[in-house]
Amino acid sequence: MGEVQKGLFSVIQKLKGTTEQELRIVLLGLDNAGKTTLLRKLASEDVNTITPTQGFNIKSVASNGMKLNVWDIGGQRKIRSFWKKYLENTDLLIYVIDSADKKRFEETGLELSELIDEENMKGVPVLIFANKQDLATASPASEIAEGLNLHTYRDRKWQIQACSALSGEGVQDGMNWISSNILNAKKTT
Amino acid sequence: MADDSEWIVESIAGYLGSPEWVIPVTDFMEHKCTVFDDEDENKLSYTEIHQQYKQLVEKLLESYMKEVGISEHQFLEACSSPFAKSKAVQAVFQPVVATDDFQLFKSLMVQKNMELQLQALRVMEERNGMLPDCLTDGVDSMGELEQQELCILKEVLRRSKEEYEQEMAIRTLSDDETGSCSTSSSDRMVVDHMDTPPARDTPPAEVIHTSQMSESSVMGRGEGERADGRDRADSGRVCPKPAAGRGSGSKVLGVLRVPVKGVEPKMSGSQAAESWLEEAWREAGISKSFTELSEVQQEQLQQRALYLRQQRDKLQALRKEQQPKPTKELSAAPVPAPASLEISMEEKKRLQKRKQLAEKLKEEVIKK
Repeated sequence: MGEVQKGLFSVIQKLKGTTEQELRIVLLGLDNAGKTTLLRKLASEDVNTITPTQGFNIKSVASNGMKLNVWDIGGQRKIRSFWKKYLENTDLLIYVIDSADKKRFEETGLELSELIDEENMKGVPVLIFANKQDLATASPASEIAEGLNLHTYRDRKWQIQACSALSGEGVQDGMNWISSNILNAKKTT
Repeated sequence: MADDSEWIVESIAGYLGSPEWVIPVTDFMEHKCTVFDDEDENKLSYTEIHQQYKQLVEKLLESYMKEVGISEHQFLEACSSPFAKSKAVQAVFQPVVATDDFQLFKSLMVQKNMELQLQALRVMEERNGMLPDCLTDGVDSMGELEQQELCILKEVLRRSKEEYEQEMAIRTLSDDETGSCSTSSSDRMVVDHMDTPPARDTPPAEVIHTSQMSESSVMGRGEGERADGRDRADSGRVCPKPAAGRGSGSKVLGVLRVPVKGVEPKMSGSQAAESWLEEAWREAGISKSFTELSEVQQEQLQQRALYLRQQRDKLQALRKEQQPKPTKELSAAPVPAPASLEISMEEKKRLQKRKQLAEKLKEEVIKK
């Protein structure tokens, strides 16, 4: 089936005939990390009426001349097992962490390392948003990076970015990293 | 090469329009679309269904390409040709593109779901005549005004049914007690037969039916002038308080009573008489139904009804003299607009007389 699927996939790419660069981005992280808020912020939508995501949201966002198809999948424990169904053909993983939720740092680290080990995630770059920096109790990004052992990642590009999805601070920096690293890498292949 | 790719694209486009493709794909969509709504957030189950859809499309396309002998490479090449990029072809290939485009797939499924829902609503409406309240309460499905109208329609239908039943009850009563009423009604039949041209052997019921049909179809278009005439007819014979203080209802009431009248055109006079009686009872404070009245009262009321019928018969005879064949015009013309105008003139006269009679009757009943 893999062969045909690849064939069909390229057929569709041809049919669509888009010259625009498209990226498939998966947005993951524990519940209440701020994934949907970040997604809404990226799409310049209202971030005040967000409820826990039971399923998933998709938004296409234009950024630096790219079309980003961002998939935000609910982070509640009972639906985390569905994450791996959304990893196929992914160009980038954005992993969101609630920097003020110290009690769950270990849990979020475990989930991330599990994702990284997925077959479909092989070599896929990771952007980690250390979210909720607007809260006084938030840990700094460097501390989180250390806790996650990010420096041991040798098989892919990674970046940790402090941000506040609510205020938007730091979000653009993360997007800039995407365009300068992922886009260029994709062009060469 | 260009010709080649054109042939391939056309062949596949043709396949996408053939039953081999359409039946399984439509079947799939109709079965799976029910969970799809147009909420912004997607359900996790959508993904599963999208996967199944992908597999179905792949299987179908693969087997077709094998059958016709198109290689994947050829197909790829054909898809990059300018012909494949044309709008018409793109539209045809939409279900294929939907395998890779979740948003497109979702929109197709949501659309299909809505189509099915609308179909179901239509079937329900056809079967029951109207939709249950729970389905009309939606904000976007029906405006407040339409809902009001629906309520009024229901009320009108209920009332006209009640009236008809009352009338039937009274009629059977009077038939039992006095033979004269049935005689007069059979007289009327004769009169009506004489009205119709002798060559026509259509049973009167059918005439009534067709005229009713045409009337209701005209009514459906919401014709003002005719409704006008009916309003007048209405005020002559229907409830004294117009639909319990529903001002906007009176027009609808007027329009809707006509089919009842159309079903029983010969009885319109007696129906009117009954309405007057009813009105009179109400005004006299007799709230009991006819059957609950004392025997003397019943008899008196029946006598009055009989009297009114006779008056009506006289008027009909008079009208027949003035206008030899009005029924023919009415039933022959598909849209009996001119005939109805004449009738409404006639009716005006009759109504005036009836009103006078009704006034007299009221006075008598109230005095008692």
